[in-house]
Amino acid sequence: MSANKILIVDDEEIIVRLLSMSLKSDGYETVTAFNGEQGLEVFKAESPDIVVTDIKMPGMDGLELLKRIKEINIETEVIIVTGHGDIDSTITALQFGASDFINKPVRDEALAIALERAKAKIHIRERLEEYTKNLEIKIAEATREIRRKSNFQRLLIHSSNDAIVAFDQDWKIVVYNPAAASIFGEKPSDVRNKMTIQDLYTPDIASIFMAEAEKKAEPEDMPWKEMVLQTTDGRKIPVQYATNVLRENNEFMGIVNFFQDLTEIKRLEKELVQSERLAAVGQTVSGLAHYVKNILIGLKGGSYVVDVGMKKNNTEKLKTGWKTIKKNISRVSDLTQDLLTYSKEREPEFEPCSPNEIVEDVMDLVSDFAAANDIKILKQTDPGVGEMILDPQTIHRALLNLVNNAMDACMEDEDTSKTFEILIKTSMDTENFMCFEVRDNGCGMDEETQRRLFNPMFSTKGGKGTGLGLLVTKKLVEEHKGTIETKTHLGQGTSFVVRLPYQKAGAVDIKEDES
Amino acid sequence: MNKKVLVVDDDPDVRSFVVTVLEENQYTPLVAHDGIEGLEMIEKSAPDLVILDVLMPRGSGIRLYRHLKTDDVLKNIPVIMFTGIALKSFLKSQKALDEFKGGEIPRPDIYLEKPVEPEELVRAIQKKIG
Repeated sequence: MSANKILIVDDEEIIVRLLSMSLKSDGYETVTAFNGEQGLEVFKAESPDIVVTDIKMPGMDGLELLKRIKEINIETEVIIVTGHGDIDSTITALQFGASDFINKPVRDEALAIALERAKAKIHIRERLEEYTKNLEIKIAEATREIRRKSNFQRLLIHSSNDAIVAFDQDWKIVVYNPAAASIFGEKPSDVRNKMTIQDLYTPDIASIFMAEAEKKAEPEDMPWKEMVLQTTDGRKIPVQYATNVLRENNEFMGIVNFFQDLTEIKRLEKELVQSERLAAVGQTVSGLAHYVKNILIGLKGGSYVVDVGMKKNNTEKLKTGWKTIKKNISRVSDLTQDLLTYSKEREPEFEPCSPNEIVEDVMDLVSDFAAANDIKILKQTDPGVGEMILDPQTIHRALLNLVNNAMDACMEDEDTSKTFEILIKTSMDTENFMCFEVRDNGCGMDEETQRRLFNPMFSTKGGKGTGLGLLVTKKLVEEHKGTIETKTHLGQGTSFVVRLPYQKAGAVDIKEDES
Repeated sequence: MNKKVLVVDDDPDVRSFVVTVLEENQYTPLVAHDGIEGLEMIEKSAPDLVILDVLMPRGSGIRLYRHLKTDDVLKNIPVIMFTGIALKSFLKSQKALDEFKGGEIPRPDIYLEKPVEPEELVRAIQKKIG
């Protein structure tokens, strides 16, 4: 252990020797001096841990030596040896920083106790020093670690691909990373700690998030939602976002928003849909070839019948053949239109129109065919469906396709005891949506057919169908932001329901008024 | 007396074409719109020849053909298959049905793939019933 070197200073040589011997036998290392000056020299040379010095010495006395030693090293333990009853100098010595005193004649036990005490003090001081030193190292380490972690988090937020925007409890923006800057277009230095939620978000979006803070939602409840974000400079960006309300001990601290820019994803989605559609047209080619062959059969047959009619001057034959030719010409034109509609993107052309009138038009178109096949076409139009702004072409094509399918479903039905009926219904749906339904009591569909209903090239009609009808219908309806649904029971019939959003007619187009 | 030829086809264009060809060549045409009606007509009117489409709603030509060929009385009525389906596909379906139901149904006497020139149809009819 440390604190093992003792300097003994006394003008009486014999006492020095005795003490030295005694302490050496206790395991200490000793150095000696016989007066104050010598004591100081030895102290400087040997740096003992403990000094035992007589107080009364010629020349430099013990008190002076004590003072000088303390000047050199204040932590040195100095034990003063005093004569009996020399209380004044003992007090002075203690005031100068002596750690202990023992009376003359020096008894081994008293010295041993004093030394132990000195050693204990040194030990504690050393421990304390070590502890303090460790503490400093630990604080430095902890500070470094905290700095590192906070840097890490800062970099994490900085380098995130998601835009991160966080607000404190006063809605001031405290976090705004580069990804956020690339969405919102504002420089981070202009935003962070300078802007509030209203400065960055448009009022409607700000209110969404401020309302979020009111909710007592659990923190883990953070589903991603989609919206179109409008930036303060007027750009519209499709994003996916999540919001987390930050609380500490149930107290509102702020909120953080995460945004993912979906522009690229939306573009790719659109591209994918387009290329899938083109592939579908390719797949449909073999089905189409069949369909075209059927048209050719009709045209050839029809022209033969016309030839015969002309040769024999038979008007009836002429009529029949000509009807066949005309019908097949319209099949070619429908097919061409279906193919073009399906393979191209088309924006609906909105204009004021009356869905109930379109129902009438479609019924007129199919009435001959329906009558020839013993199918009744009924309508149930809601007079409340007046003039409204929609794309009439979408409605016309979709309705015609669905009614044609419904007639096919009736003709496919093996149960000829049925009276086949097709009902075309219009009605007002929820706010801003109108709805039409085509319901038949024909053969219905099995699960497999239902599953493949909107697949390209799927047709239940052999060469008599292109497999494009429902695809085109669905595409038109979706481009109109509407929905199409089907309900069917095998052997009992099928119903298709199309819902389309509309605008009220008479929501006047100002430009037209001015002109 | 003119010979009776029944045309079973769901396509009105095909029916009017075949009917005209038959009339022009001194046959008496009979028509049926589907397989079920076709069988009724055969039983009722005993035609000399049947011109039969394959793909039809309500009782396909395949079903009617098998019915005719497995009926002791009706199996002697000659049948011309008249269809848009390729012969290969038709034979494949026949083979599958033979295996499934047991027995072997004879091939159709004549198999014509639409579209067909009127003369070709007439030649086929004449070959069977003069």
